[in-house]
Amino acid sequence: MKRIALAIALTLPAISQADPVVDDIIDAHILPTFETLAAQSQTLADVAADDCDPTSDALRDAYGTAFDAWVSASHLRFGPTEADDRAFALAFWPDSRGATPRALNVLIADEDPIANTPADYAEVSIAARGFYALEFLLYDSALMTAGDAAYRCTLIQTVTADIATTSQSIIDDWQTSYAETMRNPGPDGFYRHVEEVRQELFKALSTGLQFTSDTRLGRPLGTFERSYPARAEARRSERSSRHVMLSLAALQDLAARMASEDADLADALDASFTRALTQLTDLDDPTFAAVSAPQIRIKVEVIQQSVDTIRAIVGNELGPTLGVAAGFNSLDGD
Amino acid sequence: MTGRRQFLGGLIAASIVPKPTWADAGSPAFLSAAARADGRFVLCGISGDLEIRFERPLPARGHAAAAHPTLPEAVAFARRPGTFAIVIDCMTGAQKAALTAPAGRHFYGHGAFSADGSLLFTTENDFEAGRGRIGIWDTRSGYTRIDEWDSGGIGPHDIKRLPGTETLVVANGGIDTHPDSGRAKLNIPTMEPNLAYIVHGAVTEVAKLPADMHKNSIRHLAVGPEGQVAFGMQWQGDGPVSTLVGLHQMGGPMTLMDAPQDDVRNMQGYIGSIAFGADGKTIAVTSPRGGLLQLFDAQAGRLMQSEPLTDVCGVAAIGGQFAVTSGTGEMRQTNGANLRPGTQAALQWDNHLIPIITP
Repeated sequence: MKRIALAIALTLPAISQADPVVDDIIDAHILPTFETLAAQSQTLADVAADDCDPTSDALRDAYGTAFDAWVSASHLRFGPTEADDRAFALAFWPDSRGATPRALNVLIADEDPIANTPADYAEVSIAARGFYALEFLLYDSALMTAGDAAYRCTLIQTVTADIATTSQSIIDDWQTSYAETMRNPGPDGFYRHVEEVRQELFKALSTGLQFTSDTRLGRPLGTFERSYPARAEARRSERSSRHVMLSLAALQDLAARMASEDADLADALDASFTRALTQLTDLDDPTFAAVSAPQIRIKVEVIQQSVDTIRAIVGNELGPTLGVAAGFNSLDGD
Repeated sequence: MTGRRQFLGGLIAASIVPKPTWADAGSPAFLSAAARADGRFVLCGISGDLEIRFERPLPARGHAAAAHPTLPEAVAFARRPGTFAIVIDCMTGAQKAALTAPAGRHFYGHGAFSADGSLLFTTENDFEAGRGRIGIWDTRSGYTRIDEWDSGGIGPHDIKRLPGTETLVVANGGIDTHPDSGRAKLNIPTMEPNLAYIVHGAVTEVAKLPADMHKNSIRHLAVGPEGQVAFGMQWQGDGPVSTLVGLHQMGGPMTLMDAPQDDVRNMQGYIGSIAFGADGKTIAVTSPRGGLLQLFDAQAGRLMQSEPLTDVCGVAAIGGQFAVTSGTGEMRQTNGANLRPGTQAALQWDNHLIPIITP
């Protein structure tokens, strides 16, 4: 009898803390996302090592595939992505003041030897690292031809190798410790309760939606008076609309898993994502280049409103369902 | 024809018409912006016994307000990155003036008056340069813009005047934003918040956090009777932070408040408002995310108590105690170690409870 009581006492905490929603999100959403990012980033670095011609189809294809993997991961901004500012090192954007082309131009003009090895390059200005810097090197007509061709080749190879190293560090952290950290909250843990773990995931969903609405769509939309198509994300590689699509698809998957305990809510969320994605497909404007035309602008605004509708469902319905606080002031963030 | 006598008579008449005071607006002790149940936004005057004395319409959701030290008028700021603020006559609710940020600037949502109320100082972003600015407005000529100064850092948020002086203290939060990207934070890896003291346009002292705390954004300020500056922070790093509250006095070092790790974590990395007790001995901070009010012993530099209140944010000294407001419409007052039951308004109180400090 005593032994049974002891056994129950020992196993209870573990049972009470296990959260199938969290387990599912880690196993089916987070880990595969970062595994793909690490694998595609390594492929990109390997391709660049063989072929550093910025116009090469092989290099640009590898770049597109790896960048896709990042955008699909870009809402998971906690833990391993934030250690050593890794997410910033992969994705320095938005770049409102043009720090990325400025930093790259200086490196190329000086033929700065810091670009000779990925290890040294990790110390360079964060604006010169990652997928957005690489986009300038592969697609910007000025930077594609600036300075010495051999130096630019080295720079492309180093930037891709740096991306691969950073992406590998993220999945390593997830696999060696962070997944277990999230699965096993406890009084001395990084997360003290299951609620804190759910809150982290909820925050990833809601800030991911906000970023897509305010920044991915909001930058080209500009102000009521004026649109700014040149501010669209990754427009040089014609990936602007694709990034909205990829981010919404990733957030749709996360939202579905978070709402899995409430079928009606899951359906409502799914329908709201599908509506936004359908509107985006119908727009058929890869770079939002036509956003200055009133009849196109209104369509982009409608997509943004659809994303904001998802945000409202997430904030007003999913939050309370998960037991996550969402008050008038707690959501304000100022 | 206007003769000299009539002209002088007019002058005398004008000077004997008494200027209105806060007493003419019901002697409120505090201001707070709020959202009404019908979706409209208001600025409320609240008395020292936590009764609503007036409710004046706002065109949009407010952030903070600044109360003129003598005239019953208040400047209400839109939430950042707003480009306008309005001056409300708190007796009538009429809009007395509007402040429009100059081209290339937006407000951060806080402001402070000079001791005599002749000048208003506003925290602003020079967003093309990525530099904080202090806008200066002449209140006696309908709040016209007359100058601007460097804020001593990036992302200035709260601004206060040290009591009995014209020295301003600014919380440079350190976070660079640009209105073309919404609230996206552009410089988290390199952010460096500070407290800057400004005297007549010159930054006379800058106090910084230790290097390992460079992602702790200094946002909100409260000043004590001796010029002590308490500051509340918002953690932008990943994972738990060791403290969210600090204290500084010009010429001295920064002190960071101690609290048991669990109590710090319960604030969820986010201080929404801060207030100094009237005697300068107690610092009150709120976290709407944690749903907590925490009281610190300023001299000992440590946590005294933690009180739960859902979505609590606004906090201000009241007598020897503190008043708090919440997004659920509650107004409460501390009573020593307790939070007394309070009043419930059909309003959602916004971030800040602003004391009206008359000379």
